[in-house]
Amino acid sequence: MIGQSVVLAEGEVPFPPSVEDFFLPSIYPWGEHNSYWITKFTVLVWLGVAATIIFFLVTYRNPKLVPTKKQWIAESIYGFVRNNIAVDMIGHRGVAFAPYLTTLFVFIFVNNLWQIIPFVQISPMAHIAFPAILAIISYVMFIYVGIRHHGFGKFFKHSLMPPAPLFMQPLLIPIELFSTFIARPVSLALRLFANLFAGHIILLVFTLGGFVLINADSLFLKPISVLSWAVSIAITFLEALVIVLQAYIFTVLTASYVQGALADEH
Amino acid sequence: MTGDQTPQPAGDSGTPEAGEGWTALAYLIGGLAVWGFIGWLVDQWLETDGLATGIGFLLGGAGGVYLVIRRLGTPR
Repeated sequence: MIGQSVVLAEGEVPFPPSVEDFFLPSIYPWGEHNSYWITKFTVLVWLGVAATIIFFLVTYRNPKLVPTKKQWIAESIYGFVRNNIAVDMIGHRGVAFAPYLTTLFVFIFVNNLWQIIPFVQISPMAHIAFPAILAIISYVMFIYVGIRHHGFGKFFKHSLMPPAPLFMQPLLIPIELFSTFIARPVSLALRLFANLFAGHIILLVFTLGGFVLINADSLFLKPISVLSWAVSIAITFLEALVIVLQAYIFTVLTASYVQGALADEH
Repeated sequence: MTGDQTPQPAGDSGTPEAGEGWTALAYLIGGLAVWGFIGWLVDQWLETDGLATGIGFLLGGAGGVYLVIRRLGTPR
């Protein structure tokens, strides 16, 4: 890492950052650029999932009635999602969805966390594939849950036909179709992806920009690199907020879609 | 460390507003996008020089606002 910094301080800095910076060389096969079986992102997801599993296993291996500190943290995470997201949004039926919502929340949060961990500083969620799969899972789930609760015809009638006079329906049904069955999964995936993509780009701009400034010919520009790095540290703290917020929003919106699918007609 | 045992304050339930904001946004944008696109298709078909697109946008905008009022505005 230090060697890399020295190279950056002396040589050519790849600036400005581009989308190419998100397609890192493959790990297996090593260094390839057209064959991606195992990449840094694969490893990061594995590590994140392993850390999550180990954390919950260790904290819950020997549960006490009066919880230890670790157990209290694990219980608080689950309790937060169960009480403040699942039950608050969906109602008493929400308890059944609390395990899925907690898994979703923790998975997104842990994978987002890579964004601000030093020397990693890129999240798998900055690739559209990961948020897209999560969005598809939530999408299939809320449709499935709705069909199971209402029956096929009634669910689609309920979600496509708003409570409005009959002559308004031709105008409104296409909008409902778009907003419920197209905009929902797309916005769910894009919101998470774009936030982390943009976050990584901003970090790159200020970190690499510092090296560009220190390499600049003008003597006045060199000290400004310190400012640039200071901003990148400040941005890292902002990202800490963003990653929690995005994990929360994804979970809340999934819960709200499930709530909409389960809602009874009025 | 039994802090989580305290009863949740009862007043702050009814958070579905968090999702309703996004729903409203989807209706408003969706209305414009869907009917604007349908209008544009009609435009291409009948060669009305943008008139159909304009009507589509107006209808879609109105439909989106109407949907927000019907779905989210009236107390259930």
